[in-house]
Amino acid sequence: MDAISLMESAANGALIGLMYSLVAMGIVLIYKSSSVPNLAQGSMTMLAAYVVLAFANSAGAPIWAAISLAIITMFIIGLAIERVALRRLAGRPIIMILMMTLGLEIFLRAGSMTIWGGTTRPMNLGISDAPLFLGPLLINRAYAFGAVVTIAMFGFFVMFFRSRVGVVLRAISDDYTAAWSVGISVERGVALSWAMSAVVATIAGVLWSSVQGVDQSLAQLLLKGVTVAVLGGLDSIGGALLAGVLLGVVEGIASSVLDPLLGGASRDLVDAAMLILTILIRPHGLFGRHDIERV
Amino acid sequence: MLFRQAGIFHADYSADRALFPIPADRWMIGILLLLALAAPIYMNTLYLSSYLLPWLIWTAGALGLNLILGWAGQFHLGYAAVMGIGAYAAVHATRAGIPWEIAIVLAGITASVIGSVFAFAALRVKGLYLALSTLALQFVMDWTISHVPAISGGTQATLQAPDIRLLGRAVTSDAGLYYVALVWCVLVTSFMLNLRRTALGRALVAVREKDYAAAVIGVNSFYFKLVAFATSSFIGGVSGAILIGTFYHAVTPEQFSVDVSIQALAMVIVGGLGSIIGSYFGAAFILLMPGVMNSFISWATTKFGFSLGIETLAHLPQAFYGALIIGFLLIEPLGLGKIYNNIRDYLLVWPFGYTKK
Amino acid sequence: MNAPITAKILSLNNIEVVYDHVSLAIKGVSIDVPEGGMVALLGANGAGKSTTLKSISGLLTAERGEVRRGELQFRGQSIGGLMPQDRVKLGIAHVLEGRRVFEHLTPDENLIAASALHSRQDMNRNKDRVYSYFPRLHERRTVASGYLSGGEQQMLAIGRALMTQPKLLMLDEPSLGLAPFLVAEIFQILGRINRDEGLSILLVEQNAIAALEIVSHGYLIESGRIVMHDSAAALKKNPDIQEFYLGGAENKNFRDIKHYSRRKRWLT
Repeated sequence: MDAISLMESAANGALIGLMYSLVAMGIVLIYKSSSVPNLAQGSMTMLAAYVVLAFANSAGAPIWAAISLAIITMFIIGLAIERVALRRLAGRPIIMILMMTLGLEIFLRAGSMTIWGGTTRPMNLGISDAPLFLGPLLINRAYAFGAVVTIAMFGFFVMFFRSRVGVVLRAISDDYTAAWSVGISVERGVALSWAMSAVVATIAGVLWSSVQGVDQSLAQLLLKGVTVAVLGGLDSIGGALLAGVLLGVVEGIASSVLDPLLGGASRDLVDAAMLILTILIRPHGLFGRHDIERV
Repeated sequence: MLFRQAGIFHADYSADRALFPIPADRWMIGILLLLALAAPIYMNTLYLSSYLLPWLIWTAGALGLNLILGWAGQFHLGYAAVMGIGAYAAVHATRAGIPWEIAIVLAGITASVIGSVFAFAALRVKGLYLALSTLALQFVMDWTISHVPAISGGTQATLQAPDIRLLGRAVTSDAGLYYVALVWCVLVTSFMLNLRRTALGRALVAVREKDYAAAVIGVNSFYFKLVAFATSSFIGGVSGAILIGTFYHAVTPEQFSVDVSIQALAMVIVGGLGSIIGSYFGAAFILLMPGVMNSFISWATTKFGFSLGIETLAHLPQAFYGALIIGFLLIEPLGLGKIYNNIRDYLLVWPFGYTKK
Repeated sequence: MNAPITAKILSLNNIEVVYDHVSLAIKGVSIDVPEGGMVALLGANGAGKSTTLKSISGLLTAERGEVRRGELQFRGQSIGGLMPQDRVKLGIAHVLEGRRVFEHLTPDENLIAASALHSRQDMNRNKDRVYSYFPRLHERRTVASGYLSGGEQQMLAIGRALMTQPKLLMLDEPSLGLAPFLVAEIFQILGRINRDEGLSILLVEQNAIAALEIVSHGYLIESGRIVMHDSAAALKKNPDIQEFYLGGAENKNFRDIKHYSRRKRWLT
């Protein structure tokens, strides 16, 4: 393995990693504003991709219009999920909430399959396949585009959490009761976070489908998203971004080194190992806040 | 189920500590056991070996998971991996010529040792992080099983399980296999029933409620978490081995994938956390639901004259199953076990409204 | 023992609160707070003080509690069925027990979060007002609130409540765990807010000495019932109050303690 191709794996890995960050960002958004770990983010991403296709193919809308319509649809779906599934669980033990998001995961995934079927369909954003060289390194255009969008989203959310609404959401995740006591509508805040997360899922879904097509495997981005979110610290947007790059690079290098040795598919192993190591060594991640538990 | 009691009254402590303090309950258990024993006589073999048998084994498995989830309060998203370890261990042991009785014990011990790795995660983290690390461990185990040819016999491979032999005699009849499952299920159930009455059970509940607080009153929470994981993994491993030995007769990695972990979790949640009778209900519900759904759909399609694509038919039960988990969490978070208890508590003193439970 | 005849900003009439459908926390509490007045609700641990406040601010539902019986009126309007945020909108602010600041937010952000219902101009005006009452918060406005001292956190909690432009400020044990000079400082500021802005205050306290210095009236609650109601001056003179809440008698011997527990029940 020569240095150039290793660097190429690292560079493309970093770009892919940024796209993982986008999935992680959805998880972080919800966690940061309501302390709920969303295990349904992968299915939401998949559902969003199918919704885009539905608008584009069945309704015949141009792809950008279809994406806009899907963003609106997913925003509403996000609100609905909070209203139906999570509002009644506020204050319940974490095991119930986790199980609920798992249930949502199964429901959304299988529901999308029921409606649209399991065959892989393409999504064409019109990104050219022409090679893109960064110095001597060959870069995948679709990944580069995804990375740019991710960084833009990151900038937006960093600004958002400094805005008044963002501060209110952070206050909610700190203390529900205190938030109620100063007139914050906690329910509306949490709903907003789910809606935003669904929008992020739409964008992630579109970008990932342009790379790998639309099928059930989009839901498996959950593992990447969770790993990145935990590695970065579950409530840190910036952490998600950096951790995404880190995971992408490690994955890229590890798979180019390990795949020949282990007979492929070492990426998932790297993810799982990263997740376990993070949790065992530094559970609050690279930039997450530290919670103190008292008897 | 007419109990006609005006409350439960005890004259001494041993009566109070009895497993089934109410005579009607004892009668019911007895009758159910008799029915279970006689099942091969009155039940046709299709129902016996494709419904009753997996139900019993999965109930035992769900009870093992319930020990971790309901009693010790530790999240476990990798239970299928533990069952898989047991299954592979037993298959390899029997293929190496070890008698099956010893092989399943070995399977339990292997699962227990490897499953205790999960406990080391539980020592450091809890709640969400424990859930995620057990999920990650499930992936690692899956990967290891399917990528190490020595275990799985190569990728995508199916490993044939030898026929099970008890005391040197091959057990191949449906009734024989059924009895193996029944014995195991009854064993696990009575273990779980008695766990409630032991210091171990009480310590586990203390750890569940608040591990720091338990530590303050002298419960070594790490030790008990370890014991809980080891015990539950033992039950899981043996259940996995028996599932392969009596039901699947061959073992592949997909039989113990993440989805199966979630399915086991769903059994416990739907049945009710910490409820023994609930694990029976939960396992039945989750196992029967796809079949019932399918026949309902085919009934509905013919009745209302519409047709569904193959894809739709394949995924609809799964979607329904997700909806079911959501529904249970919203409506009765303590599951079917709690519903049963509510009915029982009502009937216990019916027609009197007052009760001492 | 009659309620003052001035206009009432808040009136509780025979409130009964049940937690979890079974546990009766307060049974028939009636309290009036006059417009612009300052009233204390005194009582021991677990007497039902915090529950009373939560029933007014609507935070009971989060703890599976509900008002079973009785009537809650704020300026003549019944507020029993309103969501917490709507009660805040009407002008009821509740400073929670144990401060409960948003720990990961800075004081400045705490204040911003608390003005979700207001325009930016109002928010800035309110912020200036809070900082003028509590200059120390202004000095520390960029530190994460979790790192503030207990006194500063209490000031922040009060300041945060003031951001909602309340008509009635309810404080749940603001003196909890604070040094006496800080308690004095905070109570003095509360008195100033009450005088300058005519803000009505309902103060829940165990520290009866400090509380009775600044309020005009006091209620005494015990095991979920109001057992005494009088002007602050009269309460201070009451021998029972002196003995049990103001630490009047020194050198009690064991027999007196028994006597204490027997005498302490006024009505029940």
